[in-house]
Amino acid sequence: MWQRIKNGLEVRIGLEDLINTKLKNYTVPRNTNIFYTLGGVALVAFIIQAISGFFLLIYYVPHSEHAFRSVQYIMTVAPFGWLFRLMHVVGSNLLVAVIFLHMLSVFFMGSYKKPRELTWIVGWLMLLVTLTFCLSGYLLPWSQLSYWTTTVVTAMPTAFPYVGDYIANLLRGGEFVSGITLNRFFALHVAFLPPLLVGLMVIHVFLIRRIGLSSPPFDESAEEARPWTEYRHVSYPNGNSFYPYFVLKELYMVALYLVVMFFVITFLPTLFLPEASNIPANPLRTPAYIKPQWYFLAPYQMLKLIPNKFLGISMQIALIGTFLLWPFFDTKKERNILKRPLLLATFTASLLLWVVLTMWGRSS
Amino acid sequence: MKRRKFLKSLLALLGSTTLISFAYPLVRFVAPPSRKSEVKRLSLQKNEIPSGEAREVVLNNTPAIIINRPGKGYIALSKVCTHLGCLVEYNKAKGELICPCHAGVFSLDGKVLSGPPPKPLSEFPLRVEGETILIG
Amino acid sequence: MRYILSILLLLTLLTVTTTADAGYRDIFGKEFLTKPWAGGLVEESVCIECHTSDIIKPEFRDIPQEWKKSWHYHNDVSCENCHGGDPEDAEMAMSPERGFIGTPKYSEVPEVCGKCHIGILKNYLESGHGKALKASKTGPNCVTCHGSHNIQKASIKIINESRCSKCHSYERAKIMKQALFLTEKKIREIDNDLKKLRSEGVFTDEEDRSLFRTHVEYRTLFHTVNVGLVKKSTDKFAKKLGLIEEKIDKTFKELEFRKNFSAFLMMVFAGLGIVIFLLARTYKD
Repeated sequence: MWQRIKNGLEVRIGLEDLINTKLKNYTVPRNTNIFYTLGGVALVAFIIQAISGFFLLIYYVPHSEHAFRSVQYIMTVAPFGWLFRLMHVVGSNLLVAVIFLHMLSVFFMGSYKKPRELTWIVGWLMLLVTLTFCLSGYLLPWSQLSYWTTTVVTAMPTAFPYVGDYIANLLRGGEFVSGITLNRFFALHVAFLPPLLVGLMVIHVFLIRRIGLSSPPFDESAEEARPWTEYRHVSYPNGNSFYPYFVLKELYMVALYLVVMFFVITFLPTLFLPEASNIPANPLRTPAYIKPQWYFLAPYQMLKLIPNKFLGISMQIALIGTFLLWPFFDTKKERNILKRPLLLATFTASLLLWVVLTMWGRSS
Repeated sequence: MKRRKFLKSLLALLGSTTLISFAYPLVRFVAPPSRKSEVKRLSLQKNEIPSGEAREVVLNNTPAIIINRPGKGYIALSKVCTHLGCLVEYNKAKGELICPCHAGVFSLDGKVLSGPPPKPLSEFPLRVEGETILIG
Repeated sequence: MRYILSILLLLTLLTVTTTADAGYRDIFGKEFLTKPWAGGLVEESVCIECHTSDIIKPEFRDIPQEWKKSWHYHNDVSCENCHGGDPEDAEMAMSPERGFIGTPKYSEVPEVCGKCHIGILKNYLESGHGKALKASKTGPNCVTCHGSHNIQKASIKIINESRCSKCHSYERAKIMKQALFLTEKKIREIDNDLKKLRSEGVFTDEEDRSLFRTHVEYRTLFHTVNVGLVKKSTDKFAKKLGLIEEKIDKTFKELEFRKNFSAFLMMVFAGLGIVIFLLARTYKD
C-alpha cells in the first residue's frame, strides 16, 4: 500500500529526486553550531503559535463586552482550554526570546555580511512584525493588564510632533483604548499580520536556500575569500547532509524549546499572567504597577529617561534603522568578530545597555 | 545500526504518545459544550402573578424574579446584583429593585437607576403563550 | 564614518541614561499617563484640598488621611457620599442646597450609613442597639463599633470586651461571638482559599460573589444582635458555604491535574529530545 502511494508520487512529481536534491544532497557546513538551529526553532514556534491561536479562536469573542469572559471560559470551562491558552501565552514570549537569540548569533557570527544583507533585513522586518503580533495579541484578553499596557505602549508614538497624536489615534481608533481598539487589534492579529509574516518567512527561507548557508567565521577554512562580483551558490561538498543530520539537530532543539515551554506551564503558570491579567479591563481605574511586556521595556525605559520626547523617539527610530541597515554600514570583509575589537565592543555595549534598560524599566 | 533501529522505534513510540496527548485534549476542546445544566425551563400560569406582583424562582442555579409590570407585561430578571453579587429585593411601592447591600437601585427593566452597580441585571428569555408563561 | 556615527548615537544614549534623574520620570508620567486618553483622570475633590490645608481646624485636618486608609476609600466611596455637598465646586461645596449635611447628629448616624447599607440599617433598627439609640439617643450607633473615617472591612474582632463593656457586661456579647465563631471562621477560610486561587491565575468572580452574598447576609443578620436567630440560621449558612467550598475544592483538584498533565508533556518532550539527540549521533559516525 505504502509502496504504491510512493510509486504513484514518484511517477508524478519525482519524489525521490526532490528528496535527494533538496534534503539529502543539500549540505550544511561541517562546523555548524547549535545556534544555526534557532531560525528553525523560531519557525516551529511560530507554527505552534498559529495552531494554538486557531483553536483559541473557536471560543474567543472579539468584543469588549465579551472578550474577557470568553477568555475565562477558555481557561475554566472549555476542556483543556487552559493548555492551548498557556501554550499561546508562554509560546509568544519564548518565540520573541528565540528570535532575539537568533539575531544575536547571526550578528555575532557575521552572517549578515555580503551577499546576505537582504536576508538580514527581511529577518529584521519579521522581528518588527512579531512584535506587532505581540502588541496586538496582548490587548485581546481585555484584562486590566492588557488594557493599561496597551494604553502605555500606544502612547509611545505621541512623542512625535504633529503626526504623533494622529498615529496613536489611528492605532487606538480614537482618543483612548476602547472596544474599537480591540477590534482593530483583533483584525491585525488574526488577518493582517499572519500573511505578512508568512510572506516574509518565505522570502527569508528562499534567500537562505538560494544563497546558501554561511559557515561560522571562527575557523581558518571558513569561507572562500573570493569577492562577490557575480551570483554564486555557496555549497559545501564536504559538509553534512541537511537530512538527517541537520534536521535531527533542529528537532532536538525544538524538543528543548518545548521542554522549556512546558516547564514554565508546569511550574510558573502565572509568570506571564500576573494578578492584573485576571481582572476585567476597567478604563476608570489604573492599576498601581503597569509595565509593558519585557521585550518592550528597554525602549519604554529609554523613552522615559530622555527628557525630550521627540529626541527620544527619533533616537529609537534611528537605532532601529541602524540595525536594520547594518549590513550596509558594516562592509568590512572580516567576518570574525573576535578580530574586530571595535565591533565587538559596540556589540557588547549595546547588549549590556539593552539588559540594563530592561532591568531598570522593570524595577522603576 | 541495531542501535539506530532501536532509537527509531523509541522515537515512534514517544512521537505517538505526544500525538495522542495532544489529540485527546483537542477532541475534548472542540466537543460541543454539554447543555444539560444550561437551560432550565419553567412554566407558570398567568393568573399566578397578578399585575404589580412578583414571584421568586431559581433558574439554572440563579435566583431570579418574575415581575408582572403594570402596563408593560412580564419580565424575568436575575436577582443577583451586578455590583458584588447580593440579591436584590423587589419594592412594589416604588416599582424598583433595590440591593440591600449598597443601595444599588434597578428599574423593573433591570436597568441601573442609581448606586454602584456597573451593569444592568441579566434578563432571562420569557415568552407568553396563551395563559402560560414560559421562562428560560 | 558609519562607525563614528553609530558610536556617537550610542554615546548620546549612554550619557542621557546616566544623567537622567527622577524629574524626567515625572514628566513622562504627566505627559504619557495622565492625559485623558490614559483613562479616568482622578480629580482631587475640593473637600480634600481644604481639609488638608492649614485654613481648616487642626482636628479636621487628619480626616482625609484617615479616610485614605479606609475600606471606603478602597471602594471609591468619597466625602460627598456620606456628607453630601458638592466636591467639584469650592464655593458651594458645603451648602445645604447641594445636600451638605456636615457631621450627622449622634442619633442620626444610622440613617446616614443606611443610605447605602439598607439591609443592615433595617436589622439594626429592629435590634436592642437600635431601639436604645432611638429611645434614649445614647445607645450605640454604627460609629461606636465601626469607627468613622478610617473604617475597615468588618470582622469578628469588632466584638471584644473593651468595646462591648463600655455599655454592658461582656457576657451576652461573648455568647454571640461564640455563636458566630465557626461560621466566621469558615468564611475566612474560603476567603483565603479564593485569594490563593486568584494568585494561581484562576478567575474566581462567581465564587467571590456568592461568598460576599452569603457573608453579607450573615452579618446583616448579626445586626439584630439576636443570638437565637443567629444560632437558628447557622445551619442554613453552613450549607451555603459548603457549596462554595465544594467548588473551590474542585478547582484545586483541577489545578493539580493541569500541573501533572503539563509535567507529563514536559517529560515526553524531554524524552523525545534525548532520543533524537542519540539518533543524530548515530548518523555522525
